[in-house]
Amino acid sequence: MGDILQIALPAWQFAALLLAPLGLLAGAAAGLRRMLKQRSMNGDNPDWSVPPLADAAGTTLFHRWDVRCKIAALVVYSFLVASLQHLTPALAAVAVSVLALVLARSSLARALMRLLAITGFLAMFLVVMPLSAPAHPGDTVLVVTGVDWLGFNLRGLYKALAIAAKGIAIALLMEPLLTTAPLPVTLHGLTRLGAPDMVGQMVLLSHRYLHVFRHEAERMAAGMRVRGFRKRTDLETLRAVANFLGMLFVRSFERTERVFDAMRARGYRGHFPAPAATRMAAKDLVLAAVWLAVGIGLVIYDRIFWDRIFWDQICW
Amino acid sequence: MHDPTPPVLQPDPEETLFSVRELRYRYADGTSALSGIDLDIAPGDRIALVGHNGSGKTTLVKLLCGLLFPAAGTIAYRGRPLAGSHLDQARLEIGLLFQDPDDQLFCHTLIDDAAFGPRQQGLAPASAREAARVALAQVGLSEMAYKAPHNLSLGQKKRAALAGLLAMQPAVLILDEPTTNLDPQQEEIFLNLLRDFPGTLLCISHDLIFLYELCDRAVVIDRGRIHHDFTMRALVSHRASLRGHGLDFSFRLAGVAPVHDGGIGRAPVRISPPAPTGDAVPETPLVSLRGFDYRYPDGTRALGGVDLDIAAGERVALVGENGAGKTTLLSCLLGLRQGSGTFRFAGRAVTRRRQKSLWRRVGMVFQDCADQLFCPSVAEEVAFGLRRLGCPPGEIEDRVQETLARVRLSGFENRVPLHLSGGERKRLALACVLAMSPELLILDEPTAGLDPEGEELLLGIIRDLDVTLLLVSHDMFFVGELTQRTLVMHRGEIGCDLPTRDFLADEALGSLNGLAFTYRRDCSSAIRELQHEHEHSHPHRHLHDHPHRHGALVHSHPHEHVHEHPHRFVHRHDRGHEAHDHAPHRYHEHDHPDHDAEPHHHDHE
Repeated sequence: MGDILQIALPAWQFAALLLAPLGLLAGAAAGLRRMLKQRSMNGDNPDWSVPPLADAAGTTLFHRWDVRCKIAALVVYSFLVASLQHLTPALAAVAVSVLALVLARSSLARALMRLLAITGFLAMFLVVMPLSAPAHPGDTVLVVTGVDWLGFNLRGLYKALAIAAKGIAIALLMEPLLTTAPLPVTLHGLTRLGAPDMVGQMVLLSHRYLHVFRHEAERMAAGMRVRGFRKRTDLETLRAVANFLGMLFVRSFERTERVFDAMRARGYRGHFPAPAATRMAAKDLVLAAVWLAVGIGLVIYDRIFWDRIFWDQICW
Repeated sequence: MHDPTPPVLQPDPEETLFSVRELRYRYADGTSALSGIDLDIAPGDRIALVGHNGSGKTTLVKLLCGLLFPAAGTIAYRGRPLAGSHLDQARLEIGLLFQDPDDQLFCHTLIDDAAFGPRQQGLAPASAREAARVALAQVGLSEMAYKAPHNLSLGQKKRAALAGLLAMQPAVLILDEPTTNLDPQQEEIFLNLLRDFPGTLLCISHDLIFLYELCDRAVVIDRGRIHHDFTMRALVSHRASLRGHGLDFSFRLAGVAPVHDGGIGRAPVRISPPAPTGDAVPETPLVSLRGFDYRYPDGTRALGGVDLDIAAGERVALVGENGAGKTTLLSCLLGLRQGSGTFRFAGRAVTRRRQKSLWRRVGMVFQDCADQLFCPSVAEEVAFGLRRLGCPPGEIEDRVQETLARVRLSGFENRVPLHLSGGERKRLALACVLAMSPELLILDEPTAGLDPEGEELLLGIIRDLDVTLLLVSHDMFFVGELTQRTLVMHRGEIGCDLPTRDFLADEALGSLNGLAFTYRRDCSSAIRELQHEHEHSHPHRHLHDHPHRHGALVHSHPHEHVHEHPHRFVHRHDRGHEAHDHAPHRYHEHDHPDHDAEPHHHDHE
């Protein structure tokens, strides 16, 4: 290990170095949004009827995989991916996730929407970590000529990229995990793995009523806007927002009571009926073992092989 | 005085499905909701449960389902008290359809939801799914079986909720406002489904025409008590009882001006500044849309090539099936959504900047008025928009008082909007908008969920207003009464623009847009026949209760007795003097000036 290597750059180069990745990310996000919108606009007229005629159960490996094995294997695999420390193994994990998407024949649009959702979070890492990572011996730090206190640590950037890659790998993996079985089946599998039944039921109902709640909040917000409400930094706004939230809470509370009444009226006695019989076969266990082996392989690759190379490079 | 004799044959106690005795219920805050309820329901009964908003109807059906427990009295189902394991079993036999279908569709797909009940009844998954499929086919939603509830229209949601109950093959079906906010086509589908239901039916609704078609017995609840137990024919034919309980919908049949004081007959009240008048200047439309399109953020086209002109002072109806794009068009007119094409308001193009200030000139009362009420008191609610307009405090106070008086809510200033009845809330929402003196007033389904008295009151208030009106409604009576011109929307486009009179006369056009209402017309004719009036004398039995004297004994105490005497009463029939039948059971009020002195006998305890 040597000393900290400082490379002085003119201010415009430094700014470009900071802004270019952000610009790229923003551009990619905007492009994705436009692509998704364009895709849904292909049919000039709305589809007024055509509903799914049957349960959209696929026939891929992931669809046929026992839900308990799938949850256990993919969740443990996700933790293993999260424990990776270097960029190349994390990129390998991204490749594995893409392969899983292909195998599960998941919707590309939905996978991209998931990525869009975490873009801002990852962008924050990419900006903050290079500027805030403490300089260790052997690090390379880019500084603006004459402003030594503001350094862009390449090790920080490397770490941020590794975190972003891990985030992307895990986010993409959620697609085959959550969309290859109906949510009630997935939650039932979770319950069978030992999660409290009540938690599963709460997630199930929350997912169903999120849409209802959102529509209710949108209608109420519209009701305020048509009477001139605009958000400002004053007491009046604070009072109006408090009233809005209070009313939303009261209405949601009343709805929960009505939903519970509706459930009881149809014979609910504390449990949702199991959505389907779950049977675990040897092939499910084998598949789970393969996934775990891939995860462990990535960790070994990361810890033994890449540790050595990384430190060699740093020393250089 | 209403005749207290129960004209409906009470079921044989042996055959009674529900037997309710001395039932009382109090809310958590101690308010009495029901008291002294006695009711017997036989298998196969088809009962309309009617009364004012807040009279206790929903509480009663919740008690019948075992969702609430009585404070006193008993409820027996099939001869046994509704408790313990019998209650669990009863819940599987009694289907309760809630007013808001979103409350009831709690599963992720329609088929899961319809299979929920059968699974609770103990059916194997495959059998439950089959029962669910059959029920969804019954309500015409087979092809939607794997859709999520939030992707359905309101009418489809209501039918899906009904499918969830039909899959359980219930012995009793209890419906709470099943047709609220449905377009006529969906309503007719619903009616046909319920007509075919073979079990016991109990239906809460303010729509007496719908109930007349569906039910044969009417139980009237007033302030937590059963006031009458009529046959349905007897109820609709007796206007005094209907009016006494806020149920008189006869104004819909006759098309005559309602009787509320100060309502009809006065000069219209101007709520916005008069439009400038120029001698030679041609009038500019208040609203003008040309080639107006709107797409949802996901790209779905909601409006396509809308061309529309509304002149200042005009009263226009916008009709169309659920999902035709009416609400989206209203959002654009309010400036809540930005479409493409030309939009001019009072002759000026509505740019993005002007769109933000449209709220100052356009007011709207939402379909569910709870969406626009969020303040802790009625006065604050009305003042909210006025503050945003920058009115001085004194003026705000004056306008709040003036507007509340106009919507007949004077004295309600400190009440909590959340605690008002449905009709009062609707009028408050209207007051909030009227206080801001909009140039264009938009009303989205103003009659949804209102009892007939509330409808009549609202009709009078709206008729009095001198304002440019855009009315969105499935209620053809309101459309006919309040507007001169009708726009028919279909799949995001305005298909027809014609005088309301012509629209209402054009049955083919109505059918095309799911707005035809033949059964309503037939029912209305039948009810009008029952309510006809003419003048003649005939002997009749009379049961009454009053202070009196008789024989040598002069005394005064309330008593009941039956006697027969000739009596004149007024009724009219338009088909001349041909022979006719009267309603099966007529009630009327009259004085007996000589009766107190007449000698007669009755028992004294």
